[in-house]
Amino acid sequence: MASASSPSLDVATPERVSLTLPVAGIGYRCLAWLVDATILFFFWVIAYFVFSVLVSDVLGLLQGLSGLVQTLLAVGIFATQWMYWTLSEVFLHGQTPGKRLLGIRVVRMDGSPVGLYESAMRNLLRAVDFLPAFYATGSISMLFTKQHRRLGDLLAGTLLVREELFNLDKYTAPAPASPETAAASGAPGRLASEEVELILAYLERTPWLEPDARRRLGLGLVERFGGLAEAERATVTASQESLEGFLRARAQGAR
Amino acid sequence: MAAPLPVFVGKRRPDWESLQGLLARQRAGTLRLEELRTLDTLYRRAAADLAHAQTFYPGTDAHRFLNQLCGQAYAVIYQPPRDRWTAVKDFYRRDFPATLRAEGRFVAVSAAFFILGLLLGSLVVLLEPRGAELLVPEGVRSYVAQGRMWTDDILSVAPPNAVASGIATNNLTVIIFTFASGILFGLGTVFTLVNNGVQIGAITALCAREGMAVQMLDFISAHGPVELSIIVIAGGAGLILGQVLIDPGELPRGQALTLRGRSAVKLVLGCAPFLACIAIVEGFISPGSLFPTAVKAALGLALGGLFWSYLLRAGRTYSAAATSLR
Repeated sequence: MASASSPSLDVATPERVSLTLPVAGIGYRCLAWLVDATILFFFWVIAYFVFSVLVSDVLGLLQGLSGLVQTLLAVGIFATQWMYWTLSEVFLHGQTPGKRLLGIRVVRMDGSPVGLYESAMRNLLRAVDFLPAFYATGSISMLFTKQHRRLGDLLAGTLLVREELFNLDKYTAPAPASPETAAASGAPGRLASEEVELILAYLERTPWLEPDARRRLGLGLVERFGGLAEAERATVTASQESLEGFLRARAQGAR
Repeated sequence: MAAPLPVFVGKRRPDWESLQGLLARQRAGTLRLEELRTLDTLYRRAAADLAHAQTFYPGTDAHRFLNQLCGQAYAVIYQPPRDRWTAVKDFYRRDFPATLRAEGRFVAVSAAFFILGLLLGSLVVLLEPRGAELLVPEGVRSYVAQGRMWTDDILSVAPPNAVASGIATNNLTVIIFTFASGILFGLGTVFTLVNNGVQIGAITALCAREGMAVQMLDFISAHGPVELSIIVIAGGAGLILGQVLIDPGELPRGQALTLRGRSAVKLVLGCAPFLACIAIVEGFISPGSLFPTAVKAALGLALGGLFWSYLLRAGRTYSAAATSLR
């Protein structure tokens, strides 16, 4: 959700719904760049290895070929340095392999996918964003612009949005049928969606909680949202399973 | 009062999942025509659900999920026209030369900076012989002191195709930098242009003083005209960036930059293949004495003339037709 700390891109669609896409910050972008740089680095290492094998060991047979290999190598290094970014952004829908791994994507300021010109522009500007070393200029630009854009993005009118993974199962997981479920459906008052979200967030995290904390938080939630009489609460909270079953049924409301 | 959140999610989820499936197939390029209508319907429903979630369940994961789903579908449905390979042909037939003619004054200013550098460099070396120590690289000076061209040895070290590809990538890097450093309010571009001019001017003047003007001409004449033209054009593209940053006109700086940057990047992209081709000439023909100087000079002039007549004439009729249609 948009807040002061996480900037977002707001798009008004023709359907009269406004989209709010979260913007990828400097951390995501650094990581994605590191992944891409690693890929390029290993490409170069392998290319160099192949090249040296061809030139030094198989000299007699490949003498004529080595000139061609040299040409390919020079062109290949140049191509990986400059065309890797643009080609992958154009053909992989705004993502380089590193960006895909991190789940970020280049889009235009109106949320539409980038074309050849935008991508070429933002990637040619890497020459300046990199100055004086390791994207110092680009990082400063990202820190000082509201939507974390480097100079290349400012020029091309692009930015990076983040894609998240959501688990919708938590809403639809079946509640265990038991006496507690009946108690839950009989509980007075419907929960607001934030309260439902809170209970589901708890249930989603229970497998990783310390037993003590798990018990304590569960009791607190029953106390706050259960709306039960003393005797019923005692049966519900008798075991951790029945407590969580009750909470799930409560969050999913009267079915 | 709206339904509880889990009920809403449970009821609508199948639609969202089939929309996700269709989006994945669109991305993989296996979407069939009849599925397109389904995609459209599902997108509209998801947009309606998003509006519903914005009102009744703001800030929940379901809301964020719908937001992202609609964002992805929106990007698929409202795509700008794709750049296809026919667009490349169109680009060279009329778009690139037309852009160059439209931005002619920037290219002219860029040429002026370059010529200024040339004059400065050559005047300094001609008037003050010790100036060469400052402006001409050490390696070149030692060759000239021995009365030889530094380019004579290029071909004995590496085969010509390796030289050509090395030169091509080096030159491409130079024009990329000349263009991109325009983002520093044009200062980077001006510096690169003047600096290149000074170096070439100084080296030429040094050769002339040492009585090697013919050899210098011999080396530079075949590829020089086109190569220097391209650097000047890339400089013009960099100056466009500088100009729009200093004086964005009626638009906000960001928007003006995006708008004008498009023509600037067209100039650079358009030049790139020509620069790669001219590197072949620089690698195969320019060095050594395989070809007499007269042939090299004639070739250089012919290539330069062709390049500029292409830039100034290509697509004129098209652009006239396009403007009259609008």
